[in-house]
Amino acid sequence: MYSNIIIPRQWSRLACVCRSVASIEGQKLPQTSISSDGISPPPRIPRGSTDILQALAATVGNDPTAAHYKYHDDPFLIPLSNFRKRAYALSAEAGRKAAAWIRDEHANLFTTREWDPPMKMKTPYFNADPQIPAYAPKPFYNDESIVTEIDLKYTIDNALLEDAIKVFELLGGESGLSSELKLSFLQLLCFYNEKEPVAMEWVEERWFAAATRERHATTWKLGGLADKIFTSMEPKTPEAYCAIIQGMAKYFQAERAYALTQEAKEKGIPLSTSVYNSLLGCIGFLKEGVSLRIEALKGLLVEMDEQGLSPNTETLTACLKSLSAWGGGKTLQGVALQTVAEFRQLGIEPSLSAYYYLLCLFCKDQGPKIDILTNIIADLEKRESLEPTEAMDTNFFITAMGVCSNHLQDINLAERLHALLMKNDNYKLVGDAYKESIYYRHFVTVACRFAPFERTTQLLDMLIPNIYVPEPSVMEEILKALELQGAGARLAAAWRELLVFGHAGRARLVERLLRALSCCGREQDDEVKEQMQTVAADILKYGELAEEREEREDRRSPTQKLSARALSDVLELCADARCDAGWAAAAAALRRLRADAAEPAPAARAALAALAPRAARHAHHALAAATVSYLAECGFEEAIPASIETLSVILNRTTEEVGKLLEENKPSLTTSLQPAALEIAQAYHTAKTGTPLRDSGSSTSSDSDSESSDDD
Amino acid sequence: MNTSIIKIAQASNALSQFSPVFASQFHTSSALCRVVSGKYRITKKRDRPLTYEMANPPHYIAHRKSWNSWNTSSLKDGLRKSETAVEDEFIRRFINGTWHGLVCSEVIIKRQFNHIRIAAIMRRAVSPTKMYFLLGYTEELLSTWIQCPVTLELQTVDSYEDVVFKYI
Repeated sequence: MYSNIIIPRQWSRLACVCRSVASIEGQKLPQTSISSDGISPPPRIPRGSTDILQALAATVGNDPTAAHYKYHDDPFLIPLSNFRKRAYALSAEAGRKAAAWIRDEHANLFTTREWDPPMKMKTPYFNADPQIPAYAPKPFYNDESIVTEIDLKYTIDNALLEDAIKVFELLGGESGLSSELKLSFLQLLCFYNEKEPVAMEWVEERWFAAATRERHATTWKLGGLADKIFTSMEPKTPEAYCAIIQGMAKYFQAERAYALTQEAKEKGIPLSTSVYNSLLGCIGFLKEGVSLRIEALKGLLVEMDEQGLSPNTETLTACLKSLSAWGGGKTLQGVALQTVAEFRQLGIEPSLSAYYYLLCLFCKDQGPKIDILTNIIADLEKRESLEPTEAMDTNFFITAMGVCSNHLQDINLAERLHALLMKNDNYKLVGDAYKESIYYRHFVTVACRFAPFERTTQLLDMLIPNIYVPEPSVMEEILKALELQGAGARLAAAWRELLVFGHAGRARLVERLLRALSCCGREQDDEVKEQMQTVAADILKYGELAEEREEREDRRSPTQKLSARALSDVLELCADARCDAGWAAAAAALRRLRADAAEPAPAARAALAALAPRAARHAHHALAAATVSYLAECGFEEAIPASIETLSVILNRTTEEVGKLLEENKPSLTTSLQPAALEIAQAYHTAKTGTPLRDSGSSTSSDSDSESSDDD
Repeated sequence: MNTSIIKIAQASNALSQFSPVFASQFHTSSALCRVVSGKYRITKKRDRPLTYEMANPPHYIAHRKSWNSWNTSSLKDGLRKSETAVEDEFIRRFINGTWHGLVCSEVIIKRQFNHIRIAAIMRRAVSPTKMYFLLGYTEELLSTWIQCPVTLELQTVDSYEDVVFKYI
């Protein structure tokens, strides 16, 4: 921009002229490759305006471990869950929209155009050259606007549908327009079916648009503006017929579209290939039954041939679209393969959309396993580049990955497909946020199930959390894979991920995690075990906090509580607790088990019995006492040896001595023992005889003890 | 001597009406640039917070600290001198007003080609969602005014205390 620094300021107008004349792009280079002195410069390659930028961009790879560049690179502003990713991107776009609204609403404040390079000002507000339309306020049309045909042309060119309709009305409807403009207006209406599209500049809104499934229903507005304009057109040109038929066929008004086609044929009006393509796409709406439909499809193709129209890739896609929409079965599959083969003979290769429809037709969820994907991928790998040409092209990769994961369950194929997506700039074919996340859902699922563990972890480290945040179902798969491999440290880290991704409230997932932790806990090193116990303590604390919050705020949907099974998992994990967190986790789990009056899982009984003396040895007497009395309350026979052993630790006697002590002088125990030891003694008697050791002076027996004795 | 200079200056005012050559030749204020400008006075209680940028007086620019505006307008034959200065001031005021009470540092404005990058440190007093809204809003509105791409490069800190370098 500031390339003409050498030229003094007063010459800048001249400079401007010079620049346009003498710029590199404007230079004449020799076109012939042979010259007199033997030097032959290569012929000039014409370049686009952004080619250099693209070449530069191609030298920089993507860093999958960094947040997407649309997010701000700051710890506070990097999103880590799906909800936040969506919220942040859309907030930024909302801000941009607000600014655009101000610009359009107060257009008089934005009339200045910056001038560069500075020149003598000609008129107060008109000095920039060239004008950049992207920064200028957009025209605003209401009932009082004074409009001309130029406005209508502008709105049509920019696909501002509602504005175009407004201008059209202000111009006086069908009568006051040139036929050329009327045609392009009709084309606009037919393409969008009189519905305002989301503008191109709102990238995020399009990216995060809720997944709207394509509705195979008649949505064409009968008797709408498009129909009116079409009837008012005299004479009706072939272009007008093409526009209205394609519009009707696109929005599944098949009968009217077909009737208009017949009308056009009778009048001898030539129709284009794309008209027939759109008719092929909705032929199923005219006929019932597979054989009749196939016949009609073939009839249309023959008709195309009679008209002298040559088919193109879209023709193939349209045929396959119809075939795949009619269900499955051998007949349709046979016809589809036959069609593809015939088009191959004509030199027409199937596009990505065509392959998408083929996959839909062959790989049904309940159907038999048919492997056509291998051939498709082999074909696509041979192609130099994959260019998106049709709207459904973006569906190919997610469907293919879904087939890899659910239908074929083949990790090698999935890897090949992923490599294909990552090749060149094929990533643009991933579609939108919704499709991207489904694609990765399938990919991660199949990797967790079938890939070697090293590859799985490598993949998880690369994708999560910046490219993809796993949904609960995928998280479960990941936990399963980690459990299977006994990756303790990763499992311990998984709790943090659950928290960050906003899954911590899902009891099912948390229970799964606890299960996995307690299963792998035994074989881990002490350090990892300590981490795991800390995690268990954290989980319990998180649950308590959530419950408190719930009580305080009186929420509608209650938080799910952890089951007794999960709590026993915690106990099992913490049976050999070393750190404070482990003891805290065990104590909390025990407290909650007793509060719920639930029985622990059988495996946890042994763990509990082992926990009590260990707790006593580490001077957690209260916990030891609580463990033993809980065992006794539940009526497990482990209570007797556990209480003897624990008491021997607390009193620093041998087990025989303790056993004798417990058997002999019952009354004196209440006075001589400390509270924790007394509670253990009580538990011993509860377990032994079914009645607790009861004395009138016993003030130390806990509430739960007396409750349990009542039960007995 | 000072008074005589003032008198001459006043006379030149009268002169300037006739000839624009005399209009802006005289400087009548004392030269204080090396003594007080860009420096902060010590308070009695020694409780005035200074950021690193404020703590270093102007003569440390390019030694201990750097410029707040980066552009080529002041080079020989540089273009858009006054426009750049006015625009930078406008951007600073706009940022300070839009991110009200959040800006913890100087607003640094860097111009490269037709691209303006604006850097600042913000307080984490509003939610990230609101920050993103303001980001998009600021970028879009500034770029429509200045008519070139504008990018915000923010960093966030927990509180203003985090950017305080010393108290004087």
